[in-house]
Amino acid sequence: MTPSTAPDLQAAPPLTASDPQAAVTRPHMVRWLLRLHRPALGAWAGLVTVLGAAFLALRGPLADAATQGWREYNACSIETPSCSYDQDAILLYKDLYNYSTLALAALPFLLAAWAGAALVGREMESGTARLAWTQAVPPTRWLAAKLAVPAAAITAGASLLFVLHRMAWTAGRGRIDTAKNWHDVWTFHANGPTTVALALCGLAAGALAGVSLRRTLPALVVGVLSTAVLWGAAQWAMPYLWPARTSVNPLVEGYPGGGIEVDSGLVTAGGAHIADPGCGPLAVNGCPEVYERLHATGFYTTYHPMSQYWPLQLTTTALVLALTGLLVAAAFLVLRRATGTARTGTTGTTGATGATGTTGTTGTTGTDIASTDIASTDTSGTDTAGTARIGTEVTA
Amino acid sequence: MTDTPTDRPEGPADGRSDGRTEGPTDLRTDGPTEGPTDRRTDRPTDRPTDRPTAGRTEGPINRPTPAPAPVPAPALEATALGKRFGRRGRRALQDCTFHLPAGRVCAVVGHNGAGKSTLLALAAGLLAPSEGTVTVLGTTPAAARARVGYVAQDKPLYPQLSVAETLRMGADLNPGRWDEVTADRIVAAGDLDPRARIRSLSGGQRTRVALALALGKRPELLLLDEPMADLDPLARHQLMGTLMAQAAQYGTTIVMSSHVVAELEDSCDHLLLMGGGRVRLAGEIDELTAGHTRVAVTADTDLAPHTVVESRTTGRQLSALIRPAGPLPHEWRTGTPTLEELVLSYLRNPEAPGLAPVPDRAEEAAA
Repeated sequence: MTPSTAPDLQAAPPLTASDPQAAVTRPHMVRWLLRLHRPALGAWAGLVTVLGAAFLALRGPLADAATQGWREYNACSIETPSCSYDQDAILLYKDLYNYSTLALAALPFLLAAWAGAALVGREMESGTARLAWTQAVPPTRWLAAKLAVPAAAITAGASLLFVLHRMAWTAGRGRIDTAKNWHDVWTFHANGPTTVALALCGLAAGALAGVSLRRTLPALVVGVLSTAVLWGAAQWAMPYLWPARTSVNPLVEGYPGGGIEVDSGLVTAGGAHIADPGCGPLAVNGCPEVYERLHATGFYTTYHPMSQYWPLQLTTTALVLALTGLLVAAAFLVLRRATGTARTGTTGTTGATGATGTTGTTGTTGTDIASTDIASTDTSGTDTAGTARIGTEVTA
Repeated sequence: MTDTPTDRPEGPADGRSDGRTEGPTDLRTDGPTEGPTDRRTDRPTDRPTDRPTAGRTEGPINRPTPAPAPVPAPALEATALGKRFGRRGRRALQDCTFHLPAGRVCAVVGHNGAGKSTLLALAAGLLAPSEGTVTVLGTTPAAARARVGYVAQDKPLYPQLSVAETLRMGADLNPGRWDEVTADRIVAAGDLDPRARIRSLSGGQRTRVALALALGKRPELLLLDEPMADLDPLARHQLMGTLMAQAAQYGTTIVMSSHVVAELEDSCDHLLLMGGGRVRLAGEIDELTAGHTRVAVTADTDLAPHTVVESRTTGRQLSALIRPAGPLPHEWRTGTPTLEELVLSYLRNPEAPGLAPVPDRAEEAAA
């Protein structure tokens, strides 16, 4: 350290020799995690390759073959009774499209299961997490790396897949009669970045379950279930995240629209929107009288047309990413509370410990910092929420 | 982080460091902590890796200087430490106060469920204390993480990794500290194939790898929870030798819990006897055994005012283990207990009054 120590350097040559490097070397978290989760990484690469190949095939040869099949089928009529068409091509396209789209849609659940069980839960249960924490890696940094590295791989892979899926879907649109609508639930997500956001959300939900439950199987189950709940919540909220359009048709024409429906019913002579008694089209016997009695003049539908695909996609993505952030923050909070990283803050001066916590973790990657920040901001958020709630209780 | 460790070096030696007799122990007490103690004040967690070297090299140089002799920060210090699992759950540890000077080899003994593992996990920064504080190498367990080695009771390792990959993990996660030679040597001494998967190893072999991982970190404080439990006698002897060599060479403080009291007697110089989540006995083994006396007297003898740990009447004879409160009558037949006798007496008598150190904060403040 100081020149006066020079003669003593011989006392401990090995350490001294490596010491100048020590100041700059940082834990090789990424290298270690890649080695640890090599099978998972391989599986992910395999899945991306297989699905990517499927989407490319759907975009090119399979779409062409199915288009040809449909053209032949539509050419068939009563005049040409012995016409033949390539049914296999049509079915192959349809099956492969449906299965590969479903596979992409199932990604969040798959990742939640993996994160809950293999990434975090098993480590907590078997004690290998403690093994990592007793190297020079604090628990929060361990979790940050455990989330950041898979998140990077997931973002890259899922982004590639949704772009390829979109290309495949676009290629079939208008050419293949059984091609899915843009607003088909699975197609809607598979065609856009919500795929990535939901996948990351699954990862975070699994990690939170693993950190809180500390056991493999419960974390797997709870991770998947909570991802399902979050998926449902996002799906439910999605139509309300962007202003919908309302169209009105006269009674004769039936319901207007076509897209993601938010609301529908009858329009009265006074312009009010009322519920549809469920009678059906005007042609049904007795229905004209029902509508007459309600003073209904037309049908209305509040819906999102295809032009609102991207606003819906992006707002839903933002919502899901916000939820993901909360889950990540909660995971950090749980881990800090359990391992005493937060405790040092209360015994010492809170601010100082917080600061040393961040500087102490030498070699924080950008993602690490980001996740730690989320965690710390959430702490204050939860605190204020808590205080606010106490306040209301008192006033009540 | 707290003020205590930074205050300590300013005060004069409190006598604790004088009790040592062996050569290497003397070296190691001052070595690892002296230099950096002052610096720890301003940069507690910054560049944790450069401290040990600095300490080791500066130590001997600083010794002759007449400037206020810095007392090394204790390796482990607990003040009213308690841990409760769950809000209303069992108290695994309560009101633990003790002090372990640096450079000691400390045995932690006690019944199953006495709180040994909890204490070690708290010191390793794996658990948050429910009450009180634990100070490790003069700082918080979290800040000392890079300088502390820990081997859990069940020796967790990644089963899917090979032995070599496990050691590479140690190198990756302990940059600047990793001692590849030591780690490799410990593994090689067990005739382990570096390519063998951890899941294919026996319990003893896994212990060896876990110890290699902990020692390869070249820790200043090594916390071992039942380290030798599943080793065969030969491997136990050999690994114990490795541990002690490490302690002597690098001034490592070792804290190990064990049920085998006999094997601790040769290797340990400090004892922490726990029971019911409390520290019942803590101190240098020499002083503890010297502070107790085995007596054999007639059955009608009144042992007061001496503290009786254990007494047994056989016919007209009363044999007891006591802590003398003053000089004993000449007619009493007395003897110094062995560590094993001492420990077993306390374990057999959970109600026996303990001899845990009084918190010496006041003493330090006065000095």
